[in-house]
Amino acid sequence: MLSTRALGLAPSLRQAAFSPARNHVLRNVIRSSITKRSIQTQSLKPEDGTTILNKQRLQRPSSPHFTIYEPQLTWVGSIFNRITGVGLSFLLYGFSLAYLVAPGTFDSTHVIEFVGGLPDAVKYAGKFILALPFTFHSFNGIRHLLWDSGKFLTVKGAYSSGYAVLGATAISTIVLMFQ
Amino acid sequence: MSSSLILRSSLSKSILKRSIFRSSMQGRFLRQATSDRFAYVPGGPIYKGTVNDPTTFPPPSKTHGSYHWAFERLLSAALVPMTVTAFATSGTNYPLFDGILGLSLIIHSHIGFDSSIVDYLHPRKFPVIGPIIRWTLRAATVGTMVGVYQFNTNDIGLTELIAKVWTA
Amino acid sequence: MSVLRPAIRRLAKASIIDARSFTTSASRLQAEPLQKPALNKEFKIYRWNPDEPAKKPTLQSYTIDLNQTGPMVLDALIKIKNEMDPTLTFRRSCREGICGSCAMNINGQNTLACLCRIDRDTSKDSKIYPLPHMYIVKDLVPDLTQFYKQYKSIQPYLQNDNPPEKGEFLQSQEERRKLDGLYECILCACCSTSCPSYWWNQDEYLGPATLMQAYRWIADSRDSNGAKRKEYLQNELSMYRCHTIFNCQFSNLPEGTQPCAAIAKIKLELAAD
Repeated sequence: MLSTRALGLAPSLRQAAFSPARNHVLRNVIRSSITKRSIQTQSLKPEDGTTILNKQRLQRPSSPHFTIYEPQLTWVGSIFNRITGVGLSFLLYGFSLAYLVAPGTFDSTHVIEFVGGLPDAVKYAGKFILALPFTFHSFNGIRHLLWDSGKFLTVKGAYSSGYAVLGATAISTIVLMFQ
Repeated sequence: MSSSLILRSSLSKSILKRSIFRSSMQGRFLRQATSDRFAYVPGGPIYKGTVNDPTTFPPPSKTHGSYHWAFERLLSAALVPMTVTAFATSGTNYPLFDGILGLSLIIHSHIGFDSSIVDYLHPRKFPVIGPIIRWTLRAATVGTMVGVYQFNTNDIGLTELIAKVWTA
Repeated sequence: MSVLRPAIRRLAKASIIDARSFTTSASRLQAEPLQKPALNKEFKIYRWNPDEPAKKPTLQSYTIDLNQTGPMVLDALIKIKNEMDPTLTFRRSCREGICGSCAMNINGQNTLACLCRIDRDTSKDSKIYPLPHMYIVKDLVPDLTQFYKQYKSIQPYLQNDNPPEKGEFLQSQEERRKLDGLYECILCACCSTSCPSYWWNQDEYLGPATLMQAYRWIADSRDSNGAKRKEYLQNELSMYRCHTIFNCQFSNLPEGTQPCAAIAKIKLELAAD
């Protein structure tokens, strides 16, 4: 019914109902018009599915990660472990390469003389900047070694050992600063 | 007249040839462009194979696997007593110890740097900068080793330097 | 039926009387429903529509009354989808933490929406993101194809060339106990997608969920393919990108599994080989 109304055939259909002679002609007209109206389909090969999927895949955004993840002791501590390690290693590499290139300017007497001439505030700040990464990386390294040998591998163990590392870092940093 | 005809015909032939060549090139280019568009990029949204194919493993190598891991742990574990000893002793009295500590620290640093490169700048994802930075690191490590050796032999040594700078 | 008829008639009469009395004095006969004050909470939900791929993903805000909502975040999502925005798309199925479909990042932590209680503090909004660092199909639905492909790669099924001649494989209680905390994993991908190593290298690094399942088959006394299973992991990417960051193991992990501990055990076993 819906289709005949859509096609505007309702009046002619009504007419046809009163004149049976024209009935079969009209039926043909309706049939042909309905078949013409059918939905256009497009044949696709099975492998075309992959192309369609890949087209969609290329548009997909990547969901946000470290910007939205809760800052926890676990991964923040881990990235800090890496940053401190890389920082200290940079210092080692930097000084050694500098000594290799210019042994005259970077020998011990010059370095000690230079540091000795700095104001106290800078000395303490420098000690803090060096002691904090060193102690944190050392204590967290021990924590990692304990994990690797199969200890503290529960959620509780991870957090209690993490807080222990933070505490030990704070105390030893202060001790080293005033030495 | 005849020569011009020949010329013209050869010209048209060459044009024809060229246009055929161009169209075939274009076809190849187009095909390549579409296949490049869906090419596998490590970490990209296009995956290797169909959704039903499992991912594959790199060739097994204990050197890059368990040996590397175990060596790293043993070295780190050895650094713990070494660090404690370094606080207690003076490098000038024990030059051999100073040398071992320096070497251990450099290897430990090298492994750490290398691990960061694998994590963030692996050559499979960064085909240009990845290898460059890897070789830069190797060169820097060798240079650092020489530098530390020089400093330990010609100067006061690392532990002594740190102790003296700390109290300077 | 005929027995019931008088009763129905009586009921109908009563309803007519009720209807009359309702028009005259409603409050006297009907108990007032308990009216809880509206407890409006704002939910900010990650939206991205593949039909408009040029539009960047956005956070869309919905405010709902918590007193008209179930206790879990999934209840809130279903309420929003039913009553406010039918285009909001997310996966869900069992609503009781056993299917792993509704894994998402709620207030910065990966968890199942059906197991996560709504924080009733209305002064703070609740942020809901899809699982981190995944390609997004739509809204909160990530593409887990790679995750499943990786799970398939570790051959998660029993392999034994010498099955017992009669009956089934027998296991001692100790041998069976080794699988506790491993086999329960529902593959919701909460742990893998919380791992920074998996964020940066998920094309090669297997991630905590798959590695724990690898260990589930290495640890199984009935499986005889352990050597091959371990050999697959002997490279710098498949497993050794794990730096014991410990993001994968958290207290509200759906089944209380310990992926971090499982990976530590694989590393120890490989080192002992």
